[in-house]
Amino acid sequence: MAEWSGLHSSTSRHTMDKSITLPPDEIFRNLENAKRFAIDIGGSLTKLAYYSTVQHKVAKVRSFDHATKEATSDELYEISVQEEVTARLHFIKFENAYIETCLDFVRDHLVNTDTKVIKATGGGAHKFKELIERKLGLRVDKEDEMTCLIKGCNFVLRNIPHEAFVYAKHADSEFRFQTTQPDIFPYLLVNIGSGVSIVKVESEDKFERIGGSSIGGGTFWGLGALLTKTKRFDELLQLASKGQHTSVDMLVKDIYGGSYGSLGLTGDLIASSFGKSATADKEFRCYMAKSLLHMISNDIGQLACLYAKLHNLSRVYFGGFFIRGHPVTMHTITYSINFFTKGEVQALFLRHEGYLGAIGAFLKGAEEDNPNQYSWGENYAGSSGLMSVSPDMNPMQRARSGTFDMLEMDRLERKLVNLPLLQDASSYIPDTVDLAEDALAREYWLYCFEEALDGVVKRALASQPDMPEAAERAEKFRQKYRHKLQTLRHQPL
Amino acid sequence: LFWSGSTVAATMAEWSGLHSSTSRHTMDKSITLPPDEIFRNLENAKRFAIDIGGSLTKLAYYSTVQHKVAKVRSFDHATKATSDELYEISVQEEVTARLHFIKFENAYIETCLDFVRDHLVNTDTKVIKATGGGAHKFKELIERKLGLRVDKEDEMTCLIKGCNFVLRNIPHEAFVYAKHADSEFRFQTTQPDIFPYLLVNIGSGVSIVKVESEDKFERIGGSSIGGGTFWGLGALLTKTKRFDELLQLASKGQHTSVDMLVKDIYGGSYGSLGLTGDLIASSFGKSATADKGFPKEDMAKSLLHMISNDIGQLACLYAKLHNLSRVYFGGFFIRGHPVTMHTITYSINFFTKGEVQALFLRHEGYLGAIGAFLKGAEEDNPNQYSWGENYAGSSGLMSVSPDMNPMQRARSGTFDMLEMDRLERKLVNLPLLQDASSYIPDTVDLAEDALAREYWLYCFEEALDGVVKRALASQPDMPEAAERAEKFRQKYRHKLQTLRHQPFAYGSLTVRSLLDTREHCLNEFNFPDPYSKIKQRENDMALKYYQKVVKSLEELSWEERQFALIRGVLAGNVFDWGAKAVSDVLESEPEFGFEQAKRKLEERPWLVDSYDQWFERLKGPPHKCALFFVDNSGLDIILGVMPFVRELLSRGTEVVLASNSAPALNDVTNGELQILTESIAAMDPVIQAGLREDRLTLVQSGSSSPCLDLSRLDKVLAMVVRERKTDLVIIEGMGRAIHTNYYAMLSCESLKMAVIKNSWLADRLGGKLFSVVFKYEVPAAGHDSEALTPP
Repeated sequence: MAEWSGLHSSTSRHTMDKSITLPPDEIFRNLENAKRFAIDIGGSLTKLAYYSTVQHKVAKVRSFDHATKEATSDELYEISVQEEVTARLHFIKFENAYIETCLDFVRDHLVNTDTKVIKATGGGAHKFKELIERKLGLRVDKEDEMTCLIKGCNFVLRNIPHEAFVYAKHADSEFRFQTTQPDIFPYLLVNIGSGVSIVKVESEDKFERIGGSSIGGGTFWGLGALLTKTKRFDELLQLASKGQHTSVDMLVKDIYGGSYGSLGLTGDLIASSFGKSATADKEFRCYMAKSLLHMISNDIGQLACLYAKLHNLSRVYFGGFFIRGHPVTMHTITYSINFFTKGEVQALFLRHEGYLGAIGAFLKGAEEDNPNQYSWGENYAGSSGLMSVSPDMNPMQRARSGTFDMLEMDRLERKLVNLPLLQDASSYIPDTVDLAEDALAREYWLYCFEEALDGVVKRALASQPDMPEAAERAEKFRQKYRHKLQTLRHQPL
Repeated sequence: LFWSGSTVAATMAEWSGLHSSTSRHTMDKSITLPPDEIFRNLENAKRFAIDIGGSLTKLAYYSTVQHKVAKVRSFDHATKATSDELYEISVQEEVTARLHFIKFENAYIETCLDFVRDHLVNTDTKVIKATGGGAHKFKELIERKLGLRVDKEDEMTCLIKGCNFVLRNIPHEAFVYAKHADSEFRFQTTQPDIFPYLLVNIGSGVSIVKVESEDKFERIGGSSIGGGTFWGLGALLTKTKRFDELLQLASKGQHTSVDMLVKDIYGGSYGSLGLTGDLIASSFGKSATADKGFPKEDMAKSLLHMISNDIGQLACLYAKLHNLSRVYFGGFFIRGHPVTMHTITYSINFFTKGEVQALFLRHEGYLGAIGAFLKGAEEDNPNQYSWGENYAGSSGLMSVSPDMNPMQRARSGTFDMLEMDRLERKLVNLPLLQDASSYIPDTVDLAEDALAREYWLYCFEEALDGVVKRALASQPDMPEAAERAEKFRQKYRHKLQTLRHQPFAYGSLTVRSLLDTREHCLNEFNFPDPYSKIKQRENDMALKYYQKVVKSLEELSWEERQFALIRGVLAGNVFDWGAKAVSDVLESEPEFGFEQAKRKLEERPWLVDSYDQWFERLKGPPHKCALFFVDNSGLDIILGVMPFVRELLSRGTEVVLASNSAPALNDVTNGELQILTESIAAMDPVIQAGLREDRLTLVQSGSSSPCLDLSRLDKVLAMVVRERKTDLVIIEGMGRAIHTNYYAMLSCESLKMAVIKNSWLADRLGGKLFSVVFKYEVPAAGHDSEALTPP
């Protein structure tokens, strides 16, 4: 994927050619056997989901039959390589601009003709309905957006360890992942799209939108555009990350000359967002963007806290395009939550938050397969992973929305559960050292694994002496794994 | 239109007119003030307090007012000889305490301070209490100008103290705003217990304060999205720098072009989540993708919605979290701005589905100043007294929808005043009210009944000449009385005109408030008791007939007598100078007699007639104690009420006679009644025994109104009522039993008696002139069972 991002980031995205040739097999993998399509079309990004089967080789061992045992060998058992078919879920995220090209590609490569329906959700579902039906020849079956979102959220919380994380801008590592809780319910989901929906989720099927707000991502975008003449969401965030809000906002100390001790208000607290603008002579775009971001994030954080308190919920997940991969917004939301709950509630974010709707829509369509009866595991080889870090640290992140992003989940053969003997399943952490938090250890182990790579390649090649193309595959493996290691060096998360 | 400046009334009106006609941007700071009309009673002023906000300054001080009061005194027996009169009337000077609050634009602060310094006589004052964000900015100026030390007080503490004070002392302080209702403002009755409540103060930012008791409050939350945000963002978006203009823009705009609605996303409503299509999904959600700019009005509107909704939502959430149902909104964002009151109200209704009401305060702008003043006056212990708004000196609530009254826009350029008089006694609820918290004294809210309002305003204006004449006649020896009478006429007429345009200026507009305002204005110009002479003459005349009336009643059978007594009370009540129809007759036929009055009375069945039930009740055991709210002097009290009192005493019922503390029309005052009762006792052994054995008691009501507010009565009265285990309340007269208390529910038996002496009112009630209301009510055995009984 990195090349991909590199490609797009070096071209102007405004002039992006919609008919650009995709290296399709790298993105829409396993399309041949794909079935059960689902699509989630948001304001700017489309998420496509499908179920497919993968044929791959598995190594099996077998005892020699007693009858033939004596013959040629001293070996206790024999090794054979067999073909096995397993289920895999594919989720692909791309900019709405690519939608036509992507749909064309999917249609051209679709072999399985049993599929008649595509589940669709998201605000854009009705806008693109006709296009999808025409291109894919599938009937678009609209699913309730909120239901899909919640279904998707439950699925990732249940199946992906370390799905949720706490964001800490100035800590050693930006992300602090949470261990999977055996019981994920109840929780509060704050979805910040154009507006804000605050949903209480009590069980797999029971949720309620207990509140919301019209001050959301659309407000940041819209007001930001009016104030700064910058029409792009990402650029607004970039502006905001540079600004100084104190020249726009009226602070407690601007009114009282210091803190307001008897009320417990510190001098630096924002007393009035944009409170200085009415009398200010100068306007700076980045200051206004920063002030706006603070205003909106604080407001959402405060509402989330109040609803969490009212409903006695301590787990609050934030999602939606306002949050999605933007460290600036995760930081301000986290700050706000910490301020308002004095640490009692933590702002949690989800690694695959952008996929929730698509996952949910897919699950709705796949209910007869009963995907919830299985356990699923993330396929690290096929998934892009979390790309974002502070924009200053990695300029690549800025280009991210122009790229394709993938999540693949393999169905595990058996349902996995906790060892019943764990003293406290909810606080159990299998790993002894979290390399993301320990820079020295990380350095060492990444170096160690890179050093060892040649040996592994050699070993892999040696394991298949009879296969002529093994050398080529071994080389591909080397490149892929080395790339992963390099990615992890820059983005330990 | 009185705003045109055509009136010459020496009131604030010229002021407002003057300023509204000049541009406020070029307002001359050294403008000459008509100072005695604004900073009144400065000579004796002490205990200054000042609250300096972002744009308005509020000055508070305590002063004393010397004014004339009418007193009655029995003639000494020694000197009695020369006169037929039972008592003499004297006018005395009395000093009462008054709180003054003046609000003006910060631009005037220097001029005002100069004026205050020049007129300050009392030199004991060393300190001025100061609060508000501007307090430290103007500290040096105040100290230099006034020579007083500025003593800063905590802003929030002052705000809460002021809020408690107005909620406790001003009936109809709080109101609900309803833009499209018949009347914009719906005033709330004063709750006996004002705590706990939530105060949402929207200044630059928002403070959300939970108030649990007089001294206990906590800022439980707040928000940086407040008035300053509206102003600041509004200025950036529209290039309009004035707050009022931004609001004006907002009131004209269409938010749907800027905001993304639910239907913009989903093509309609989002049914499964219960979101209607018109709901705002994202404030300014359309502006990122719009190709062209938006009209200023639309952006201002969208901004106003965004901020009001957010504040409303936060207020609701905090109210729910803390289990509070009363939420008051204040601060400069709210102050007198119908647009913001409307959007906040809408938001609260939306978020709580009507469970919580958004309440606003009439004197919200003064809270800080009142609180700072109270902090400085703690040694005077102002909270131990009851205070009443002086309608004559207070400006009243000025705001209406800007479209309805363009003058409102100019309001911030004017001076606004609130005056509160210290009442001699602490006022409390009548303990016999069935539900004090839902008691509303007034029968008709004229603010909500346009027809009734028209009529009564007209009626009071018509009667004005007569009142002026009467006032003049009451002071024949005073040459300057004519001038004062004319001033009174102008002031009261102006008040009536104000009320015609702003019916809610002093809370609910009622016949009672019209009467009270007239009394306040009469007092203002030193006509403390225009009817004193008439009352004296009628009392003297009626006393001569007392024994004759009693004797003729004695001759009747028990049954006949019971009915005759009631007819006597009703006939006596026909004599009323307060009712125009009667005062005309009285004026032209001075000998209009008691018997004639009886003939005027409607025959049974009366318009409201529960005499049969009353009569049945009389056959039963006597009441323990009757509380009797009496009405007029003369025939009414002496020939109507007293014989009835006599009968009650004879039955073994104790009687408490409650009369006005101070004069109102020809109503008998407590002072007069003391003398009359003694004089009757001298002729009547039954009354005499009653007084001697303490079975007949005279108390003052604490009121000086022709009407009756059972939630503001003298503390002593309440005590007596409780001690004597009162089980019957009798309310007499049109003012007390029809204009007020007609629907009052008491926890004991009650009798409401009145003759309708106003043809319009008679018409309204389906009767005619001199129709009789005789309403005997017995409370249901238990309130619960009553509620369960189908109608």
